[in-house]
Amino acid sequence: MIRNYFKIAWRNLMKHKVFSMINIIGLTIGLSASFVIGLMIYYDATFDNFHKDSDRIYRVVTDFKSPEGLFHNSGITLALEDAIAEDSNFKTVSSFYIERPSKVENKAKDLEFKWPDFVIFTNQNYFNLFDYKFLAGNNQNILTNPNEVILTDKRAADYFPKMSPSEIIGKTLVYNDSLQVTVTGIVENFKDRTDFIFQEFISQPTLLQTRLKDNFIEKNWSNTNSNSQLFVKVNKSSNLPAIQARLDGLAKEHRDEESIKYGDEQIFTLQPLSDIHFNEDYGIYDWSKGQASLSLLWNLALVALFLLLLGCINFINLNTAQASQRAKEIGIRKTLGSSRKQLIGQFMGETFLLVLISAILSLILSKWLINLFSDFVPEGLSIELLNTPLIIIGIIILLLVVTFLSGFYPALILSKFNTVSVLKNHLASGEKKLKLRKFLTVFQFTIAQIFIIATLLVGKQINYLLNKDMGFKTDAIVSVYSPRAEGEISKKELYVQKLKAIPEIKEISIGGQAPASFSTHSSGMTYNNGEKEINAELQFIFGDKNYLKLFELELLAGRGHRNDTIKELVINETCRKFLGFKSPDEAIGKIIMIDDENIPIVGVMSDFNQRSLRSDIKPMALRGDWHRPDWSQFQAVHMAFQNESSENLKATLSKIEDTYKSVYSETDDYRAEFLDENIQRFYNRERKVSKLLNWATGLSILISCLGLLGLVIYTTNRRVKEIGVRKVLGASLLQINTMLCKEFLILVLIAFIIASPIAWFGINNWLQDFTYKTNISFWVFLLSGCAMLFFALLVISIKTLQAANANPVDSLRSE
Amino acid sequence: MIQITNLEKFYRTEEVQTIALNKLSFEVKKGEFVAIMGPSGCGKSTLLNILGLLDDPDGGSFKFNGEEVAGYNERKRSELRKHNVGFVFQSFNLIDELTVFENVELPLIYTGVKPAERVKRVEEVLEKMQIMHRRNHFPQQLSGGQQQRVAVARAVVNNPKLILADEPTGNLDSTNGNEVMDLLIDLNEAGTTIIMVTHSEHDAKYSHRIIRMLDGQKVTENILI
Repeated sequence: MIRNYFKIAWRNLMKHKVFSMINIIGLTIGLSASFVIGLMIYYDATFDNFHKDSDRIYRVVTDFKSPEGLFHNSGITLALEDAIAEDSNFKTVSSFYIERPSKVENKAKDLEFKWPDFVIFTNQNYFNLFDYKFLAGNNQNILTNPNEVILTDKRAADYFPKMSPSEIIGKTLVYNDSLQVTVTGIVENFKDRTDFIFQEFISQPTLLQTRLKDNFIEKNWSNTNSNSQLFVKVNKSSNLPAIQARLDGLAKEHRDEESIKYGDEQIFTLQPLSDIHFNEDYGIYDWSKGQASLSLLWNLALVALFLLLLGCINFINLNTAQASQRAKEIGIRKTLGSSRKQLIGQFMGETFLLVLISAILSLILSKWLINLFSDFVPEGLSIELLNTPLIIIGIIILLLVVTFLSGFYPALILSKFNTVSVLKNHLASGEKKLKLRKFLTVFQFTIAQIFIIATLLVGKQINYLLNKDMGFKTDAIVSVYSPRAEGEISKKELYVQKLKAIPEIKEISIGGQAPASFSTHSSGMTYNNGEKEINAELQFIFGDKNYLKLFELELLAGRGHRNDTIKELVINETCRKFLGFKSPDEAIGKIIMIDDENIPIVGVMSDFNQRSLRSDIKPMALRGDWHRPDWSQFQAVHMAFQNESSENLKATLSKIEDTYKSVYSETDDYRAEFLDENIQRFYNRERKVSKLLNWATGLSILISCLGLLGLVIYTTNRRVKEIGVRKVLGASLLQINTMLCKEFLILVLIAFIIASPIAWFGINNWLQDFTYKTNISFWVFLLSGCAMLFFALLVISIKTLQAANANPVDSLRSE
Repeated sequence: MIQITNLEKFYRTEEVQTIALNKLSFEVKKGEFVAIMGPSGCGKSTLLNILGLLDDPDGGSFKFNGEEVAGYNERKRSELRKHNVGFVFQSFNLIDELTVFENVELPLIYTGVKPAERVKRVEEVLEKMQIMHRRNHFPQQLSGGQQQRVAVARAVVNNPKLILADEPTGNLDSTNGNEVMDLLIDLNEAGTTIIMVTHSEHDAKYSHRIIRMLDGQKVTENILI
């Protein structure tokens, strides 16, 4: 019987090619989106779930609560580990310290490696907590002595080429010229997905031979460093609220006087291992990978769901509309003894076949989609993940759900036909079904309309962000960063001297980051106005005397700092207002205290945006390079060009690079950045949203319009006789077309009325993330409504014009 | 085999009620060939639908093999129908998407006959109806006469006790019509009870008895043999 069902399903599919195509296209789009997004969710949700008892492993993190807000830090104070080490709630307590050495050498082979990444100082407990496979060396009593290191097989292969793991044991490495360590173990890199990407594990006692020695001896409760990480495995019987109460107690017990005075509080929290991959507040260890975003995954899942729903709706609409064509078959089958259940089974089988064809096409498409959406898709995700049993089961369930959603209602309708009426050719007009079809069409167009409005408004906001005056010059400015290990200012000054010979460069300034950047430096400041003490966080930008001029930052009062190292501040307007000075001039000469030092305000500059326009302007000051010669905050040489045309830009840039190489001949890490490109990077997330919306909009319009086309074809075919009669009676082409289009366009209009407030609400919510936002203009709604009407009219007219143009003699004769 | 007493059927619209069968009574014995005649709208097809258990009456009694079936629900009617009744329609009512073989096979599928047995029985009946050479054709590829032979094959493949034929020659020319009537006679001679609705006096003469109807009532009854 099932063979019979599939046979008839296939033949029906081939007989109604246009409708089958519409259904398959709609379902394929929805299923492809679901497959890819499902893979992404699975990929991200299965990070680090392979460790033994992973559900009992937590990272202890620190939150800082202060009058200025809540701040998060993935690290802890070093003192906490000792305080909880003996707590019976914990099976294992393991800490590690992340440090990036400037170099490591295999002196025996004369090999040197600069800035090795993912190096940690840790102990045996780390390996008790996370299940590494030891390829060489003992996995017990390890990292207890100073000057020991365990390497992963990948890192070992770099440092000791062509040596087997057992041969590497006992060999020596030298970190930062002086720290000599012996390799005591080689572990296999984790094969499964993990955020624990550490490659070198140096024994914790070795820390006492480094510059971090004092921190480790003192273990100050008020000193928190994100490099200092603490993990615990709780016992099966442990009570989490009790652990939290203990951590709260410790935080309270060790709160210092200053924190009490300023209302600061630190809170230790247990972050589940499964949360690390998603929680942007605390971050992961490899920043270059980009953190998985739960909200992005939710949004993507929502898009997939909508696309899938649109495909299902097409199916329901087209199949119920075509029901009368299947009526004869149903009547005959019922006459011959088919039960209603058997008929429902048959139609569900047909739906399943169609869904299966769409699924096969979707699987083929998915590979292409993963490349197309590489912005969203995690780096390591590949189509091979589809072979995972859980994914296969997921796909089967999805196909069954889609089959049910699409097929059940039409199956119910079709199987309900009265045999006698069908065989007599007396079919009820089905007013109820017609209403449902109209409702579903309105639903489809509402979704499409919401996507159109959202696309236009998100685009408008991005345009606004990119074009809004940030308060300083952003175009035709390039910044060249000095080599990472280079702390000397003299070479930078030499570089600047040489750059001055390039005529295309108008201004040069040595400094820290540009006025707007991703990184921030800040310190607490105190100002006593004679009546009260004002405390606040003050952000800094670093620059020489030319900095203000190069970035065209307006000086409202006073002057810039006299030289690079003098301790003077040029504050911004927001800071001036915050400190209560009535005018810029009033601020000049006033003293504020930073890190126990009195610093005079020598100038007030106009406000500008230090970060993306998502955030507002904070109190800020421009300062020089105060800590020379110990270290330098001036990492970059900024240059403004004479003219902004790009004609000679390439030549100028290559001159700048050549000059750099002549000064820094020993290094090859030349890095030049355009400020306007950096500012565009502020809005990468928004651009991703925009790209996603563009696709979602295009696809939802496509699916909805195809569905509409199907309905129009069906309705027009049914009204062939009516069209013939009207034409005979003298109706014009336009009149007939208007009559046929009207009922569909009304549905599109209703969708517009429903979609507008929903879209307004959604976008208004989204815009709340931005301090600076574009207007939700009326014309956007009008434009999107017109666009939807235009698409719908275009699609409808393909068929209606053809019908209206037909010779009425043919249609009347055939009737 | 069939006994109907005071059978009634009404059709109602919002404003009007039409009487399709008006206290109709008659009996059909096992092995009989009965023709029902009458003008359009006299209730012939309504009667056939009720006798074929496709529709239920609004009043009166309908006994099938001595069993009262007038109040049966759709599921029970369907069960009784698929084992006992075969249908031949004026417009053949073959499923366009199925081949000749598959159309004939369909009643056997619904009565749960095993595949091997199905093939055997379908081939036998197709041979008997001389349509075996067309087994893989679709209905649209056949002439009207051939289509009706397929419909007859489908009606008899389950060896029903009763065949209901609704103007079986109505869409056929005289040659093809006579061929179909010959098939029905053969079946009747083999023991199958046949009730045939027809407008054709010529076809009615093949039957044992003619019941003439008007306005939902029996007006005359002629016994031919």
